[in-house]
Amino acid sequence: MATLDTLTARQIAAGVRDGAFSATEVARAALDAIQARDAEVQAFLQVTPELALEAAARVDAARAAGEPLPPLAGVPLAVKDNMNLAGTRTTCASRMLEHYESPYTATCVARMLDAGCVPVGKANMDEFAFGSSTDSSAFHPTNNPWDTARVPGGSSGGSAAAVAAGEVALALGSDTGGSIRQPASFSGVVGMKPTYGAVSRYGVVAFGSSLDQVGPFGRTVEDVALAMDALVAGGRDPYDSTSQDVPPRFADAVDTDIAGMRVGVIPAFMDADGLTPEVRRAVEGAAHSLEAAGAELVEVELPHLDAAIAAYYVIGPAEAFSNLARFDGIRYGYREPDCATLAAQSSLSRAHGFGAEAKRRQMLGAYLLSSGVYDKYYYAAQKARTLITEDYARAFDRADVLLMPAAPRTAFKHGEISDPTQMYLSDMYTISLNIAGNGGITVPVGLGEESGLPVGAQLVAPAFADERLIAFGAALERACAGAWDAVRGAAAAGEGARFGAPVAPAFAGKGGELA
Amino acid sequence: MALTEDDVRGIADYARIALEGDELAEMCAYMNDAVEMLEPILAYNLPDVDPTFHPIGGLSNVMRDDAPDAARAFTIDEALGNAASTRGRSFRVPSILGEEA
Repeated sequence: MATLDTLTARQIAAGVRDGAFSATEVARAALDAIQARDAEVQAFLQVTPELALEAAARVDAARAAGEPLPPLAGVPLAVKDNMNLAGTRTTCASRMLEHYESPYTATCVARMLDAGCVPVGKANMDEFAFGSSTDSSAFHPTNNPWDTARVPGGSSGGSAAAVAAGEVALALGSDTGGSIRQPASFSGVVGMKPTYGAVSRYGVVAFGSSLDQVGPFGRTVEDVALAMDALVAGGRDPYDSTSQDVPPRFADAVDTDIAGMRVGVIPAFMDADGLTPEVRRAVEGAAHSLEAAGAELVEVELPHLDAAIAAYYVIGPAEAFSNLARFDGIRYGYREPDCATLAAQSSLSRAHGFGAEAKRRQMLGAYLLSSGVYDKYYYAAQKARTLITEDYARAFDRADVLLMPAAPRTAFKHGEISDPTQMYLSDMYTISLNIAGNGGITVPVGLGEESGLPVGAQLVAPAFADERLIAFGAALERACAGAWDAVRGAAAAGEGARFGAPVAPAFAGKGGELA
Repeated sequence: MALTEDDVRGIADYARIALEGDELAEMCAYMNDAVEMLEPILAYNLPDVDPTFHPIGGLSNVMRDDAPDAARAFTIDEALGNAASTRGRSFRVPSILGEEA
């Protein structure tokens, strides 16, 4: 029988429902694939065979009892390690939380489990989600399955790599400045940041409370749509005051005909410093594919987006400093032993529990919130936020969605970018959406002509019109299907239309046989 | 004006992050690079633009009944379970005011 990585989440759930295989067989295959592949990929911080097999057994028992199965019954799921899941540690890839036991399950995770998903483990990340490479994990880096000398992107790099290596069909990530969309681009998978408020943040360790958003990774746009339906199906979460009611109609949008609809492109973005020629050509090719599918290309401007990176690095660190002040070694987290005073215990626990980037961001936030500095930078950043939001509103008067790169380049090598402020620039195309709040999706469109590594294009929709991301994302996936024929080989050519981007070739079929 | 090591030491004290060895000099260099990167934002301190503090406008405090939520309330053991030092029903901390207090 086939290996699990040849099946999409939709196909796995259908197979379990129809009795082609059991959820327990799927869970064992996923655990076997992780066993065979993760020594090289290192996507996981913790693998949870007991939780997986228990969840799978519940699905199988429900089927045996003749009960209707939920839409993602039996689908293996990886969860970013900043999301609480009872029965696991939630470490945020930090020494600070190395031994932290989740006291409850985050709403987003609970909803995926309610939809039938089987949790196989907690995925690596940049420490507290501060980063774009996953190299700042306190425990180990994660390797890009397309080239293990390279990073998978970040901060949700473990989630992206687990999907790209075919270890799981779905994963959850969080996105504060691009932490779903950039690793999706680097790793050749689909990753979606819905509009702020669409998915509950309850039980997700906070970084930037006005910026953080949870979203799914998958290998196809349809799988991501099914995950989105699961995440919003319970309606507004009373435990997150910013969560909003969003109708679960994402899967319905997959087959939308985009003929006659308008795709906005931003000429200034395509001429930006730092954008590599291969990414530029790939995104231009994506635009022409959508045009060939019947969409109309229109040029729009976002004149204030030059301010986005500076605004983000005011708002993000300020909110991070406030949120991470709770880690003082008293109620949870690392505690420095043998301190004479509480102040010394707090300062040394934080000094030794946090890694370098977590300290840098908090120090910057502390400075920006200090007397005299706050008025100068913080208000300016929030005014820039107004202008950026207005820019998007004007652009959406003329276009149904916008198309742009997800990242300025393909995956870089471990250690290639050592200057932290240079690293911040890798989020140049993603960050403004966290500031304005609207959603975006990365769809892999092919391999870069020079690097031979995956390139993702980013689609952007107005706030709470995220189903357009699915409609145009699926159209883009279909239009770019041929780009993957050379990777899949002649026997499987044409499957891109159904399956999107392939599993990274070095890992495809390695373990994970569905017995 | 560039931040000095004394400035950065003061910020570290406020942020409750002890900087040790070479960390002070490295943090000082980073802070000055980062603040320079933020300079473009100063042009946006415009008098005729209102700030947007949150992507969802019109947020107001959400109130619930002032009663325990049995489904979510931690037991004492759960509340203390992740603490490094406890005594009885309490978190245990060193002297708050210092030895001389």
